[in-house]
Amino acid sequence: MIDGVLFTVFALTAVGFALTMVFRRNPVHCALSLVAVLLSLSGMFILLNAQFIAVIQIVVYAGAIMVLFLFVVMLLNVKGETPLLTPGAAKGFGFLFALVAFVELLWIALSSVGEGAGRGTAPPVGPTFGSPAEIGRILYTTWVFPFEVTSILLLIAVIGAVVLAKRKFS
Amino acid sequence: MQTHGVPMEYYQIVSALLFTIGLVGVLARRSALVIFMSIELMLNAVNLSFVAFSRMHAQMDGQIFVFFVMAVAAAEVAVGLAIIVAIFRNRETASVDDIHLLKG
Repeated sequence: MIDGVLFTVFALTAVGFALTMVFRRNPVHCALSLVAVLLSLSGMFILLNAQFIAVIQIVVYAGAIMVLFLFVVMLLNVKGETPLLTPGAAKGFGFLFALVAFVELLWIALSSVGEGAGRGTAPPVGPTFGSPAEIGRILYTTWVFPFEVTSILLLIAVIGAVVLAKRKFS
Repeated sequence: MQTHGVPMEYYQIVSALLFTIGLVGVLARRSALVIFMSIELMLNAVNLSFVAFSRMHAQMDGQIFVFFVMAVAAAEVAVGLAIIVAIFRNRETASVDDIHLLKG
């Protein structure tokens, strides 16, 4: 019961603020709406027994990444675009394409929910499901190679960002 | 033992909705910064789908994948924002309609 109420609140907040993000003119408002979406998604992760993911969603996404976004928005002093959306046929095509993609996504996701375990219900899990200890155990045994590769990726990203930010292009 | 009251379909519906809204943002907006934020929204929609499926099958590999998606998103944001800053410093604009150097 309480699950359903919380889910409804989080889902409505997420979708509502996602719409505000796409249709607001001021980039600062867009960034703050995205923070609200990320926070409500973090709530949904907790409902889904993914506590560790919920915490790093707040720390990494809502904390680090969105602060970076807000810094750049305020640093560049970008004006809101007028008109808001791409003019002409591109906009209509965009909305049509998005509608088709939505129907397709819904079809695939819902049909794959039906397979396997009993339709629509989640099986009960133990108390360690999604805990940091369990995540760490899997991460450092089964997924240790991708984990190490990720560290190289982050190193390359840091070097790339520094090079791009320092060099003066002519 | 913990059970779950909300049907798993609902999470997929929310995920599909968020992904579509992000797609509209990428296709229809003109500011490079907002397009970038919409891409983040799409990544998050997929993350929700991953976590919901992970819960549905009671296997934690989906959550590990979300962890990697977040790491890649962080790297992508660092480089992408550096590119946007570099473009803005050179051309005084962040609108994708004004950036057509490669159009020939």
